[in-house]
Amino acid sequence: MSAPCRLPARVLSNERAASDTYWLELDAPPIAETAVPGQFVMIGFGLQDLDAPFLPRPFSIGWRGEDGRIGLLVRRFGPGTHRLAALRAGEEVLLLGPLGRGFEWETGRALVCVAGGVGLAPFLFLAPEAIRNGASVSILYGERTGDRVFDPRLVEQLTGVRPDLYTEDGSIGRAGRVIDGIERGTESCLFGCGPTPMLKALERLAREAELSLQVSVEEHMGCGIGTCQGCVVRSSTGDWIKSCTEGPVFRREELAWPD
Amino acid sequence: MAGLTQQLWGVEFQSPVLLASGTCGYGQEYAGLIPLDELGGIVTKAVSVEPRPGNPPHRVAETPGGMINAIGLQNVGLERFREEKLPWLAENLDRSHVLVNVVGHTADDFATVVADLDDAEGFLGYEINVSCPNVKGGTLFGTDPEALGELVRRVRGSTDRPVIVKLTPNVPDIAVYARVCEDAGADGLSTINTFPGMLIDVDARRPVIGNLSGGVSGPAILPMGVYLTWQAARAVEIPIIGIGGIRTARDALQYVLAGASLVQVGTALFVDPDVAINVHREISTYLDQQGVARLADLVGALETSGHV
Ligand SMILES: Cc1cc2nc3c(=O)[nH]c(=O)nc-3n(C[C@H](O)[C@H](O)[C@H](O)COP(=O)(O)OP(=O)(O)OC[C@H]3O[C@@H](n4cnc5c(N)ncnc54)[C@H](O)[C@@H]3O)c2cc1C
Ligand SMILES: Cc1cc2nc3c(=O)[nH]c(=O)nc-3n(C[C@H](O)[C@H](O)[C@H](O)COP(=O)(O)O)c2cc1C
Ligand code: FES
Repeated sequence: MSAPCRLPARVLSNERAASDTYWLELDAPPIAETAVPGQFVMIGFGLQDLDAPFLPRPFSIGWRGEDGRIGLLVRRFGPGTHRLAALRAGEEVLLLGPLGRGFEWETGRALVCVAGGVGLAPFLFLAPEAIRNGASVSILYGERTGDRVFDPRLVEQLTGVRPDLYTEDGSIGRAGRVIDGIERGTESCLFGCGPTPMLKALERLAREAELSLQVSVEEHMGCGIGTCQGCVVRSSTGDWIKSCTEGPVFRREELAWPD
Repeated sequence: MAGLTQQLWGVEFQSPVLLASGTCGYGQEYAGLIPLDELGGIVTKAVSVEPRPGNPPHRVAETPGGMINAIGLQNVGLERFREEKLPWLAENLDRSHVLVNVVGHTADDFATVVADLDDAEGFLGYEINVSCPNVKGGTLFGTDPEALGELVRRVRGSTDRPVIVKLTPNVPDIAVYARVCEDAGADGLSTINTFPGMLIDVDARRPVIGNLSGGVSGPAILPMGVYLTWQAARAVEIPIIGIGGIRTARDALQYVLAGASLVQVGTALFVDPDVAINVHREISTYLDQQGVARLADLVGALETSGHV
């Protein structure tokens, strides 16, 4: 893993991709060159403007271009993500990254990426990299409602994989939960990113079917680089471990999964 | 950058800017991002006799103009600190100084940490944390003058290194506590630690922080930190390190004018790791612009005549 760097990054474009959802491209060559899928960046607004959100916000690296661009999939939630959604080309943000431990996979395996909502982001980066390494990749992508769906054609353009789409309201793709699409009894490696209830269901399924599973978790963060101990999750041995440096990607066996 | 050096506790600080405890880990984490050896120094995460597991999440959250944290003093414990963290500091920091932040439940705990570390290399002295609000009993020493005096005397008796006591803002009159520390033999004071606070998620109708409450830090606490530093500085002769909400050189200079010889930058590091070196450089610019030869000339130089 390469050392993180800090840089002011120019916004190259920021486009509304779905209801409340934005595709943000930043000029960040040192990050684009060294990042691996599953790693994240902290985006901050600096110390000069006290009206801006204070702490930096963590985002999965959603894509990287040959030309030093990185792409992030941002869903509006509170003040930080609203501010990001409103960014225009030419503006600057402070970036720290690439951060954390990414996904691991063996060449030649079948990878099944299970994405809930903007949990799709890390797989937009993982899929093309893994395919280049000789893995086969499928993406199961679920949203609660159709208006939030990130265009499957764009997913295919970015990754080379056409996602299997699920919506709970049934308005686009298959009606139901993404978890219903997983075939048990295969030799595939599961990767999950999304809301906690989805990750829990995925973990139960993987445990029962004895499938390998790596998940990317989300916890509030301060520093993003291991100094503040703010971002802990419970490990399977009962310790609090830092998700920013020991994660955000964990093998299912590494974590405690309380009901 | 002449003029920024400070002579304190028998050594020279090349810069008045240090990194605050709990916000820079054990230094190593920021090695590639912050020019640690160009700063005044760093204060380590609190070290206790035994490793501490810490509090459940969420441990941090944003608050207006800052953040709230309840880490619960999670740390690697004395032994691993000495074996794994101190050697890195000894090897990598030549010119900047290290203070070890010490925490404990009892005076024995504090004395054990100090006695155990005392002959090790890689640090200048101790910052005695009597003020962390995030663990049961953690404020006991900081809010009880008698217990505080005994603790400081005990630590004083265990080491010849500088002993700096980090005070809590959570007292009616900080001057009393400052004097108690000075009388008990402390070499300096750090003012201040975080303010107790709470953040409630009104949708969930629950506290956001796993520990229910936590300590508030960041720009929001700047004026309180400056005020308490000023009050403490008026009460004692020993040097003071000003802490709380610093994000610019002008913030740092408020502390200096109020009576601080050094400052620490904490939470602002999370927003911009460059903040510490920027504050250092901008203080230098300020001195040049104002025609002040030495930063030491500004310490406590607040002019109040004609105000009241
Ligand atoms: C490793 C990681 C990767 C992420 N990747 C993405 C992504 O690709 N796309 C995306 O849209 N979102 C992602 N998130 C979630 C995103 O960080 C939060 O939605 C965002 O921080 C919310 O900020 P806010 O000001 O809008 O919301 P508020 O709720 O007002 O935020 C208040 C505070 O809580 C923290 N917080 C709130 N929700 C979360 C959360 N889910 N995770 C972590 N911190 C939170 C914020 O950082 C902030 O400090 C990721 C989170 C993590 C930890
Ligand atoms: C995440 C976090 C952890 C902290 N841990 C410690 C600690 O272990 N010991 C201590 O004395 N102070 C600790 N502090 C307090 C800071 O050192 C500092 O006194 C306080 O945050 C005010 O300064 P600031 O506003 O610049 O952050 C911590 C603060 C934060 C934000
Ligand atoms: S966010 Fe600070 S240690 Fe992980």
